Amino acid sequence: MKLTHNSHQSGFTLAEILTAMAIAVVIFAAIITASLAMQKSFNAVDHYFATHIQQVRIIDYLNRDVKRALICTTSVNQQTVTLTIPKYIIQSGDAEAVSNPSLVGAMRSPTISTTTSGVQVNYGTATSTVVYSINGASILRTEDGVVTTIASSTDQLVPSTIDTDLANTEKTTMAVTFHPIFTSGNVADERTGTTVFSLAYLRNKRRG
Amino acid sequence: MKVSFIQNERGNVLLCAVCTIFVVSLIAANVLLNCTARYNQASNQVRSWNEALYAAESGADIAYNEVRKIASNPASAFGASNGWATSGTTYTSGTTTFGTNGLRTSQTVDLFYSDPASGNAWYRIRSKGISPLQGLKRTGMDDRLSNGNRFAANGATRGDGDTLLRKIDFKYDHFTATYGPTGDGTNKAIVAVSPAPQLSRRIELIAAPVGPFDDVAIKVTGNFYGLGSAAYIDSYRSSAGPYDPSVKTNPSDPRYADSQSGSVQIDNATATVMGDIYGNLYTNGGTTTKKTLNVHGTIDNNVPFTLDSFSIPTYLPAPQASPTNINANTIVTPPAAGTARAPTVYLLSSFTKQLTINQNGSSQTYVAIHLTSDFTGAIDVKPGVHVQFFINGNVDVKAGDIVNETGYAGNMQFYSISPTDGSSQHININSPGNLVATFYAPSADFTMNGNPDVTGAIIAKSFYGNGNTSWHYDRSLDSLGDVTDYRIASYVEDIR
Repeated sequence: MKLTHNSHQSGFTLAEILTAMAIAVVIFAAIITASLAMQKSFNAVDHYFATHIQQVRIIDYLNRDVKRALICTTSVNQQTVTLTIPKYIIQSGDAEAVSNPSLVGAMRSPTISTTTSGVQVNYGTATSTVVYSINGASILRTEDGVVTTIASSTDQLVPSTIDTDLANTEKTTMAVTFHPIFTSGNVADERTGTTVFSLAYLRNKRRG
Repeated sequence: MKVSFIQNERGNVLLCAVCTIFVVSLIAANVLLNCTARYNQASNQVRSWNEALYAAESGADIAYNEVRKIASNPASAFGASNGWATSGTTYTSGTTTFGTNGLRTSQTVDLFYSDPASGNAWYRIRSKGISPLQGLKRTGMDDRLSNGNRFAANGATRGDGDTLLRKIDFKYDHFTATYGPTGDGTNKAIVAVSPAPQLSRRIELIAAPVGPFDDVAIKVTGNFYGLGSAAYIDSYRSSAGPYDPSVKTNPSDPRYADSQSGSVQIDNATATVMGDIYGNLYTNGGTTTKKTLNVHGTIDNNVPFTLDSFSIPTYLPAPQASPTNINANTIVTPPAAGTARAPTVYLLSSFTKQLTINQNGSSQTYVAIHLTSDFTGAIDVKPGVHVQFFINGNVDVKAGDIVNETGYAGNMQFYSISPTDGSSQHININSPGNLVATFYAPSADFTMNGNPDVTGAIIAKSFYGNGNTSWHYDRSLDSLGDVTDYRIASYVEDIR
């Protein structure tokens, strides 16, 4: 006897279909789970890098301003930094600019004066005050009342600055941490693990 | 039995696998793209920005080194062989390229101020550092901050976040376009950066002259003995008022800080230091401790230094025709007030009697005396007169023979010219009398006898004094005398 096989009449048994469906469900479940995990991981990594960039930016802003500062003071909670900086650039509203508006944006020539504490270099008669502070999720830099948001993150960025005045110099240590999205329960350790640290000396406080 | 099998009716497993891989790859690629962009910004752009400052500060060090040569070896300062171009009192360097990342720096130095009291020059150093942008030529991902004009050629309107801070020049030099090449607003132009892109930072430093009597009451390179066990060295600032002996023990007095600068510097490991020192004590390898001495300031036993031999300044004008010696009591009134750099000069071959120097009218009067032999006479400096006394020989006088009626040590400056043949030189100040003067004698052995009240400073090869001297260093001396070195007095960065 010869059996013929017509492909149009082929099929699967119920058991085969159920088995295949079960396997498919497992596979799709794995894929979906993996995809969600990857998406979450991506989101966490993206946040981590994005916040890290802001960490570095805060550090670099502080570093730049501390190096050129005349005076640096930090608050008791170490989260507000006040810097006194020479007014190297003529700004709108300055005495020179009032009499000659075209000078706005120009560099000042230094002058030398003798004070009771010795000779000193002056850029104009006033100085700029720069304040770094936290406002909600934002880190603000305020220069003579003009506010610039230098970092803004939902990852709870926290800068900490300590100013140390030594006998022959002055230095400022800065550390910025944040709270990453992926946590395993020990928030303090995870925040500590994100620390970016920097140290800057006030160039104007070099002595000797 | 024959079973036929049609390929086209196989299942779609392969297709599912490919689709899955595609989706997963898309996610992975997205992650990779974002991470790469973030890394590029957080690592490469930040590194380049910081390296630009390293370049600028390195350039400033190069320029500062040239400025220091003005004090130590003026003929070699800002030499054309080192790539410097000179125009009046402005010096411009060539471009120096260094480091594995091709950092570049260039500087301009100009004399912007001359101290009217000493005539010493102050220099402004402007240094520019350029770092080629490392990594990818991409902007950052500052999507969490408010939008703005991020990469406008006009730097004054530049955007936010990293752009506002780092000001990367991807195609054009924003600084030249906005402020001009020197930053003074002239010659603005759109200039393509090469090699693009790059970051640049600019700093300005002020190099201030350091005088020989800067922050030191006694400074010797050799042996030191003194003073008496009941002696003391304190300080004050004459420009802030007359000396007050109560200030040094009264921390609440606003002049207290000025009273704690009577420092002693000894470039020797062996020294006998006695009395109270209201300032710092430095030795070179000594073992001084506060348990054995009344040093109210800092003790540092690792401060080596050198003193260059001293020769008469070359800027002095031609001397007056007379007098040419002081072998009889003499009174001179300079014909002109002069300045610190252009005083009235008297060239003397001997000095054994008294010289009285009067003021020219009511003007502050500047006088320089060059004595080519020993000084054994006496000198009386009237109020309003500033004297620099250059001596080739030795000094053997009583403290009372040096009368400084101005009351300021800086107005009676003694300089012992170093013997070129290496022979010994000495300065002996004997009792009685008090002393208001400064001595700069890097080649001389200095001896002080008796218990004089001293206002001033002494720089010498060695020092011996066993009297219970009360010694007051005047901090106003820090800006007097010919420059011996330069220090950086100010640092600003042009953040535009």
